[in-house]
Amino acid sequence: MRKLALLALSLCFAQFAGAVEISSYDVTVRVAEDGFGKGVATVRLENAAPGPVAIPLGFTDVANVQLAAGPEGTTLSASPLNGHTLVGITLPEGTPGAVEVGFTFSAAKLFGDGDEQKPLPRGNKLLRLTCLNSQPMPIANYSARVVFPDGMRAHAIREALPKLGKSEAGPRVQLSAVDSKPGARIHVDRLLQGQSASMQIELVDDARSPGWLIAGLVLSVLYLVYFRDLVSPRAE
Amino acid sequence: MTNAVTTPSAEDQLSSLLDMEKMTLSSKMRAAQGRSELWMRYLGFPGGIVAFLLLYYLTPDAGLGASAQAGIACFALALVWWVTEPFPTYVTSLVLMFLLLVTRTAGAKAIMDVLGMEVIWLNLLAFILSGMLVKTRLAKRMALGLVLRFGHTAGWALFAFLVLQMLLAPLIPATAARCVMTLPLMLVVAAIYGSTEETPNAFGKNLMLLNLVCISVLSSMTMTGSSANLIAVGLIETMGGHRVYYIDWVRLGAPIALVTVAITMILGRKLLFRIPEDEQLPRIKGGLDVVRRKYDEMGPLSIGEKKALAIFGLVLVLWMTDIFHMRWFGVEISAPFAALLGAVIALFPRWGVLQWSEADIPWHLLIFSAGAYAGGLALDDTGAAEWAVRKLFGGLALDKLPFGVVFTLIMAVMMYSHLLTTSKTVRTMIMIPIIITLSKTLGWDPLSLALPAALCIDWVVGLPISGKPNVILFSTNQYSVGDNFKYGMTTCTIGLILLVLSAATWFHWLGITPSFWAVAK
Repeated sequence: MRKLALLALSLCFAQFAGAVEISSYDVTVRVAEDGFGKGVATVRLENAAPGPVAIPLGFTDVANVQLAAGPEGTTLSASPLNGHTLVGITLPEGTPGAVEVGFTFSAAKLFGDGDEQKPLPRGNKLLRLTCLNSQPMPIANYSARVVFPDGMRAHAIREALPKLGKSEAGPRVQLSAVDSKPGARIHVDRLLQGQSASMQIELVDDARSPGWLIAGLVLSVLYLVYFRDLVSPRAE
Repeated sequence: MTNAVTTPSAEDQLSSLLDMEKMTLSSKMRAAQGRSELWMRYLGFPGGIVAFLLLYYLTPDAGLGASAQAGIACFALALVWWVTEPFPTYVTSLVLMFLLLVTRTAGAKAIMDVLGMEVIWLNLLAFILSGMLVKTRLAKRMALGLVLRFGHTAGWALFAFLVLQMLLAPLIPATAARCVMTLPLMLVVAAIYGSTEETPNAFGKNLMLLNLVCISVLSSMTMTGSSANLIAVGLIETMGGHRVYYIDWVRLGAPIALVTVAITMILGRKLLFRIPEDEQLPRIKGGLDVVRRKYDEMGPLSIGEKKALAIFGLVLVLWMTDIFHMRWFGVEISAPFAALLGAVIALFPRWGVLQWSEADIPWHLLIFSAGAYAGGLALDDTGAAEWAVRKLFGGLALDKLPFGVVFTLIMAVMMYSHLLTTSKTVRTMIMIPIIITLSKTLGWDPLSLALPAALCIDWVVGLPISGKPNVILFSTNQYSVGDNFKYGMTTCTIGLILLVLSAATWFHWLGITPSFWAVAK
């Protein structure tokens, strides 16, 4: 509770000071089969000043937030806020105006359940990643990448938010290799306060069932046998 | 024209050719033309399955979802079956719809909803309006008039349709509306030259496919030719930083479109589907004298014809004035709804001119269209079309290549990519931003590549499912999927060659493109 109050205070500070800007924010999460993920985030702040800055991270269940890069003396904390996680970064005295802070974290419950009306087939999983910008400062350049669990691939992108604007080039969410493994990325230019960057991807086993192969071959052979009169000399 | 002796049988022959009420679009499968086609049908079935299995079990690419991969596999199977025809095309469409569901490429609702799409409604209403023109004999009168004036030879008849479509293109942006309007004329003129659904000939193929090409390609003469053109103009302005004026578009697009359709028309009848000597003239003993006599016999316009003319005129006015509808009526009456209004008046008891039973609605063709669209939409919705386009561009190493080479490759991808998607808008939204970004990365002015690429948006002529007019014209059963592909690809290749030649000459003189062999710094 105390942490939350501190973060709220920092929020007000940031709002009135109007100084700190997030010019870029990159998150990469490697997801395991059990729905746990290990992530790395890099935030670039402009006009930063010594003191606390709150950064929305977006996962519901975050632990082990550890500093990976940044000015010496920087401290981190993580607090849940309305189903999301805020990371508090406290910058030390002497921090330059433009600063890059990197941190690692672990997140749980990355798989969601299928819709009640549209249940998922057995074995499929719904990977969810949402970042709600609960802070007053817009994120100029937000990008998140997920690496799928071993042995799984995307079946389909089920959600990609925010919807593309008229002058934006798409797609919002794109399936692509992340560090040579199947994955997906979401990119948003200027994520405003109250806006969510969200993707939902249905994952399936990357091995195809041999059912189609057997059915296809059987049907082909049957057709070639039972329709051979089509090309018999008498057909002419 | 020779003054051949007119015999009653010649008159009967013409009457029977023009008796469109007896012509119904049969759901029977087209008879195989020769032994090679029989073999194609026999091997087409396993061929389609092999194509499906190869694509379905292919090692997945990281950028391709499993549903998109399954969608490509299903579409490939259907494409092989549509071309080789082991089944009637509508049965293939039903198979495709089922496969899309069971491979989880698309949901049941998305597949079923296709039957409610604008193009299907327009197709249905087109047959009602055509039925009205046929029943009142207005189509016969217009066709006889057209043949008398321009139809001395097959070449002139084809040229008359080219001019007609060229005049209509700037007036009616909706390609399907233009197609619906001219379809009855095409059917009657084709019949006069001896081409019917049961006995299609080279003239019929040339006529239908030339109209298909003219309707689509001539939309690229102006930036208002289609809504996708306007989207491209918007993207060039917002992303590329260049404003494109109406006249900029016309001076680039119109010459290429017109020269292409003219060359295609000549190549079509001289080379692709060579019209034999005996099909060069109307297939009626007694020649045009009989046609003239029949025309004179029709006398003045009947009440029914006048009503049909008024109804068709009303629909035409609504199609031509769609941009004013909001101001006039507070609602936009889109092309299908304008046709729907026409159909309501035509079918109105006592005052109308048509009974429901007299409208020959070929449901099997609507099912074919629905399946084809379901497949095309699945490719768009799953991201398969976008993935294919990205792969195509990604596979091209364009760095440090001369501008002309880059231009040729990009135009080729843009031109032929219409085979991957059924929506011009979706293709525009995918391709134009990629081309603008690519131009900037390579160091070229975005306008030099994006504007010529935008000229290719409307060239959707390769397959019967590539555009709305294609679906409507394919329903006449006067040509096969293979014929459409051959004619369409020839058109696209002529257009591509003309675009490349233009980039080296007058696009450069107009300041749109840099020197053809220039290399970016």
